Amino acid sequence: MTVQTITLTVNGNSVAQAAEPRTHLADFLREDLLLTGTHLGCEQGVCGACTVFVDGRPSRACITLAASCQGAHVQTIEGFDDDPLMAKLRDAFKRHHGLQCGYCTPGMLATGYDIVRRLPDADTDRIRRELAGNICRCTGYAGIVEAISDVLGNTPPSANVQPQTRERTGAAGKADIALASSAPLPSESVVRDSEDANLPGMEAFANAPTLSRQLSIAAPLEDVWRILSTPNEIVACIPGAALDANPEKDLLQGTCVVAMGPIKAAFRGIARLTFEPASRSGHVVGRGRDSFTRSVLEGRLNFAVAEVSAHATELTLDMAYTLTGPLSQFSRPDLVAEIADDLLRQVAKGIETRAAGGVAAPASHSSLNGFSLVWRIVKRRVKRLFS
Amino acid sequence: MKSVAFSYAPAHEIGDAQAALGHDGIKLVSGGQSLGPMLNLRLVRPSGLVDVSGVEALRQVVETDGAVRYGAAITHAEIEDGLVPDATGHWLRYAASRIAYRAVRNRGTLGGSLAHADPAADWVIVMTTLYATALVHRPGVGEVRIPMEDFVTGAFRTALGPQDVLAAIEVPRPGKTASWGYWKYTHQEGEFAKASAAVFVDSDTTRCRIAVGALGRQPVLLREPDSVISGAVSPSQALGDALPDMSAADLRLHAIALAKALEQRS
Repeated sequence: MTVQTITLTVNGNSVAQAAEPRTHLADFLREDLLLTGTHLGCEQGVCGACTVFVDGRPSRACITLAASCQGAHVQTIEGFDDDPLMAKLRDAFKRHHGLQCGYCTPGMLATGYDIVRRLPDADTDRIRRELAGNICRCTGYAGIVEAISDVLGNTPPSANVQPQTRERTGAAGKADIALASSAPLPSESVVRDSEDANLPGMEAFANAPTLSRQLSIAAPLEDVWRILSTPNEIVACIPGAALDANPEKDLLQGTCVVAMGPIKAAFRGIARLTFEPASRSGHVVGRGRDSFTRSVLEGRLNFAVAEVSAHATELTLDMAYTLTGPLSQFSRPDLVAEIADDLLRQVAKGIETRAAGGVAAPASHSSLNGFSLVWRIVKRRVKRLFS
Repeated sequence: MKSVAFSYAPAHEIGDAQAALGHDGIKLVSGGQSLGPMLNLRLVRPSGLVDVSGVEALRQVVETDGAVRYGAAITHAEIEDGLVPDATGHWLRYAASRIAYRAVRNRGTLGGSLAHADPAADWVIVMTTLYATALVHRPGVGEVRIPMEDFVTGAFRTALGPQDVLAAIEVPRPGKTASWGYWKYTHQEGEFAKASAAVFVDSDTTRCRIAVGALGRQPVLLREPDSVISGAVSPSQALGDALPDMSAADLRLHAIALAKALEQRS
C-alpha cells in the first residue's frame, strides 16, 4: 500500500506526516496528529461536526482527502485558543447555552466564526440558514443562534483567519500520474446459511416505496409465461444474470450487482418464488445484502401476464422495496425507478428474443447506456408449484 | 466507514488527467463533495483518484462579448461571492448560494457537479435553462462543444467519453430584457431538491426555456414554454403533458416548483 508524505501547516505549525491516500483530513488530524477536537459524526458530509478551516475556508474534513491538502493551511478548533473572535464566540455559546454534550460544538464554532466574519448583517433567519449544515441533537439550535447573534450585534473583533490562496507546488511532472491502476476489489463475501431463513413477509412492505410498471412484450402469452415461470429462463433475460446451480426448490440464492454512474453494489441474498399458474401470476420475496456498503435490500414483487393479442403480452409488475444502510442515502425513489425502467426495458427485450427461439445474451456490465447496471441473480433451489 | 484503498495523484495539466483515465478504475476528483461521501460509504471503489482541482487551465475564467467561460474547477463559493464575473448579472450567484452548505460550496466545483450529474443538482437544471455549453477536451479531437441539454444524459450519466475531461462551461450573456426564475423544493435547507424548475425568457435573442428537474434523470425541457409563460397553459397542465407517467403527488410538487419559478422570474 502506498503511503504519501503530506506537508502542510496545521494551526500555524509545519507538519510532514505520512498517510495513505484514502485518509480523509479528519482522520489525519485525529489519528495521526492527535488533534481530537475535530469530531466525526456522520463521516459523509452531512452533520458538520468535522468542519475545520482549510486555507481559511470552512470545509468538511471527513470529505476532504488529506492528500488534497498538500501545502494547505489547516486551522482546527485547537488553533483558535488565542483568537479574539473565537474567544467571544466561546463565551457567547457558554452564556446562551449553545452547547450541551459538545459533540457538534467544534463544527458549530467554525461555522459561527465564518458567519460572523463573512455576513456582518446576518439576521437570525440567515444565521439559521447558514447553520443548516451543522446538526445539533441537544440544544434545539436556539442557544446557538442567539450566541452567534449576540457576537454579531456587539462589534465583534476582526477575524484573524481569512481565506487565502494556496501556493501550488509547481508541476512535479507527469510521473505523478503513475497510478497503481489495479487495486484489487475486496472479494464478495459468501452468503451465510443463517441468511437463508427469515425472509420478510408481505406485511413488511406496508409502508415501503412502491413501483408499478406495465411492460408490453411482443410475444405470445404462453411463451412469456413459460419463460417467467422457469427460473433458468427468466434469469437468462436479466442483464448479467447467471445461475450458480440448477434450482431445486422454491428458495433461490444469488448475487445481484447494481450500478449507477460511479455507484456499485453487489447484493447477495435469497428470494422465494411462488407461481399461480391458473391466473398466470406469481410473486417473489427476497432479501440481499451488499457486503461493500453493508446495505440491505428487501423487496416483494407481484407479477401477472395477460394476453393482448396472439403476439403481444402485457406484463404487469407491482413492486415494493426497502433499502437500509449507506446505499439508502443515494437511492431516492426517483433514482430507483430510473434504474428499474432501464433494467425492465432490457428484460422485455430478452424475453422477446427468447420467445422467438433466440438466446437472450445477458447484457454486459457496460451495456446500459454505457454504464453498468446489472442484476445478477444466482439461484439454487426452485420448486415449480404448477408442474 | 472508511474508503477502500486507492492511489491519489494531483494532475497539473488536462493531459495528465486524460492519460490517467486510460487506466482501469481511475476517477477524476475536483472538490470531492459528492464523491467524498460515496467513497466513505464504499459506494464508489476506485483504484485511483486524479485530483484536477489544481489544474490551472480549469481555473480560468474568460470573458468575451457574448459569453463567459468558467473553468470547470471554479468553486460554487467563488461564484456565490462574485469572485468571478457573473455572465447573467446575478443569477449564477443566487444559484450558487443555494447549493448545499457553505462548507460544501467552498470545495465543490461547477464542473465537478456537472460531471457527477446528480439529477437533483442545481447546476444541471440552471445551466440547461441558461443555454450553457459544456466544453470538453477529447483526446485526439481537441475541444468538443456539447450543449448542456445534451451533456447530462441520465442519472449520473453524461456525454463524456472514457478519456474526456470537462474543461469549462460557457454561459452566454442574456439580453438586457431577459428574465430568469429558479425554485426548488427541499425538505431541509441545503438538501438535494425533491422538485425543481427554472424559467428563462430572453426576448432579445428569442430564447425561451422552461426546465423541470429532480426527476431521477436529466431535466426535461418543456416543448412549448411560451404558452406556459403567457399563462395560456397552467404549470400542472404543461407538466401533465410532458411527464405523463409521473405520480399525482410528484406532479403536484413539480407544478408548484414551476409556478414558483415563474413567480420569481425577474
